[in-house]
Amino acid sequence: MLQYGQKSFLIVDDFTDFRTSTRSMLRELGVRDVDTADSGEQALRMCVQKRYDFVLQDFHLGDGKKNGQQVLEDLLLDKLISHECVFIMVTAESSQSIVLSAIEHEPDAYLTKPFNRVGLAQRLEKLVQRKTLLKPILQALDRARPAEVLTACAELCKKDPRFAPLCLRYRADALRDLNRFEELEKFLTSILASRPQPWVYAALGSLLHKRGQHAQAQGVYEQALKAFPIMPGLYDGMAEVLVAQGESKRAQHMLEEAVRLSPLAVRRQAALGKLALDNEDFDSASKAYRHAVNQGQSSRYKDPESNLGLVQALMNKNVGNGLDARTRVEINTVLSEVAKENVEDQGLQVRARLMKAASLQQAGDEETASKLTEQALQRLEKMDQLFSVEAALTVAKQLNQLGQASAGASILKGCVETYGDDPKVMQSVAKLTDDPSVLGAVTEAVDLNRQGVRSYQAGQLNEALEMFRRALSLQPKNISIALNTAQALLRIGGESPAPALMQECRNCLQSVAGIPASDSRYDRYRKLHIRVFGA
Amino acid sequence: MNRDEQGLDFSAVIASTVHDMKNSLSALIQAHDQWLARLPEVLHGGSEQGVIEHQFHHLNGMLVQLLGLYKLDINQLPVCPDYHELEDFIEAQLAAQQEVLEHRDILATWRIDTENPLGFFDRELVASVVGNVLTNAIRHAGHALVIGIEEVGEQLVISVNDDGPGYPQRMLERQQDYLQGIDSRTGSTGLGLYFAARIAALHERDGVRGRIEIANGGVLGGGLFRLYLP
Repeated sequence: MLQYGQKSFLIVDDFTDFRTSTRSMLRELGVRDVDTADSGEQALRMCVQKRYDFVLQDFHLGDGKKNGQQVLEDLLLDKLISHECVFIMVTAESSQSIVLSAIEHEPDAYLTKPFNRVGLAQRLEKLVQRKTLLKPILQALDRARPAEVLTACAELCKKDPRFAPLCLRYRADALRDLNRFEELEKFLTSILASRPQPWVYAALGSLLHKRGQHAQAQGVYEQALKAFPIMPGLYDGMAEVLVAQGESKRAQHMLEEAVRLSPLAVRRQAALGKLALDNEDFDSASKAYRHAVNQGQSSRYKDPESNLGLVQALMNKNVGNGLDARTRVEINTVLSEVAKENVEDQGLQVRARLMKAASLQQAGDEETASKLTEQALQRLEKMDQLFSVEAALTVAKQLNQLGQASAGASILKGCVETYGDDPKVMQSVAKLTDDPSVLGAVTEAVDLNRQGVRSYQAGQLNEALEMFRRALSLQPKNISIALNTAQALLRIGGESPAPALMQECRNCLQSVAGIPASDSRYDRYRKLHIRVFGA
Repeated sequence: MNRDEQGLDFSAVIASTVHDMKNSLSALIQAHDQWLARLPEVLHGGSEQGVIEHQFHHLNGMLVQLLGLYKLDINQLPVCPDYHELEDFIEAQLAAQQEVLEHRDILATWRIDTENPLGFFDRELVASVVGNVLTNAIRHAGHALVIGIEEVGEQLVISVNDDGPGYPQRMLERQQDYLQGIDSRTGSTGLGLYFAARIAALHERDGVRGRIEIANGGVLGGGLFRLYLP
């Protein structure tokens, strides 16, 4: 029998009876330090105050509240519990439906109600044993040192090879975090050859996808769905590679299947909404976005883009028919939420107002629509943040419709300046305008940038830098060109770059400082920023 | 709200009712446990207590099974195999039945004869099968039952053996029929085996599927249930 006298426990359940009876079971096991919470929100606050050794978390805590899986994600991502903490998910029915939603973060064990004292004691004891066995790995995880995780895994496997399978996932995650992709691919493939598991397929699929091997990734997901047809996470991965290959209709079907299996997933609903909107399936888009907005209320993945997407879908669905009263109320509610909750975000403030104006125009209230458009334009002038491509295109389109063609054109011009090196962006812009001053502005700079990249890859750094500089002087707000210039400067500068060179680097980065966090180059921007500014 | 109302989907109604029944039963069991804890020691034992606990388990097992069958039927029963410590798995199954075993005065033991301390299966699903088989064995056992785990070829075999009268001859002869589908004449025992066989078959490796087998004999001479997992 283990000693629990020094250990702290947290019971999270919305039923008083359950909390009381579990507490008395724990007391009988010699536990002295037991706290209880009746909601996930309360549990999170308590975990900020105190480090618990054990958490007994009920899965279903009532509609509109965080569920157990969300609490677990929050605890892990915000590092409120150590990896050494024993986290048990308590479920009313068997855990099957929950397992579905939990491919990324799994609890240490599931415990199905009803359970008795003996059953609880048995689970606790075994879990403590396992945590003890894995202790060096878990401590390395707490320190966020993937290399140490690998060492600890290797030691455990050497000490007792029979327990090696318990390390598989830790090893895979560590290889991924260390960017050792070749090794990771071999490792995952070898696991699949003997004992396939959903997470292994998902990890391999996402690795291949990340390296641009979309067709291979698709093959992996196809195989995975044959073996595990009821795992929503695998449909998500499949949808991603289909989108990457331009098959957005099939991708939508995949996500619809995933949502049918496991509807409680904010990010999945948002992704489905976006796909359906792109596919002009406005009914599905509004449904999915509505779910994303509602479920987002209690989730860390709440995203104002879902609110804006919902409004867009509702308007498109009713094009030519005005907007009925209920839809207008819904639009009002979700847009005021965006404005209220993102006071500091100038871009969102502008977009929410324009979206509102567009909806008022559709509903026939031209006067208020133009008032709001004016307000949005004033804010737009003072804005120093860059729109994402999609946001820019939507804003430009709406400005055109609201009778502000020149403001719309200048948004498009800005978009071309920032993203014009991407031919896909140029195609989208060309759909909205045929103004040569917008479309033609970028050609020369893009050409120079391309030549610069070629020289850079050939190792002719000075030549590359010259090309990038000339490109940047033509298009000072182009993200790719600015980042390329900064990178070439740093490469030439070596270990200790000259002050003038550093200053030039800083200027490059500052000119694209408004880069949206959703941009695929944001990571690269952050890394350069840290090197140049030290933070 | 223009939802398509095409009459009742009766199996969905049953599933959702079963779900509620299960919650209700959980609350009942919990309240019963707490009430029991307040009773004086002398009132704890007694055969009624054994009956109540046994029937709680039996009811719960049937409800779990019904939900499982429903999900199998609509193709929504996910299998998520993983590595599990065998000792932990068996201990947990016995711990859940601890009170019943005590009240019925049944000695339950287990033995693991495998090289590997880990097995690869869906813990939740296999636990529901073993739980039902245990409940059944407890009902028929005299004073002993044993859970065994061994390896036969590449397969993991989980067995439950009791010292009761064993399975009726006609069941042993017709075991293939139980596994192929539900016969209205076979009653609940057949349903349990059917469920077990379906769960077993959800475990697959290199084209080999899991299966079950019933027999009489074993070390204790009574009913012997075997679950083969590839």
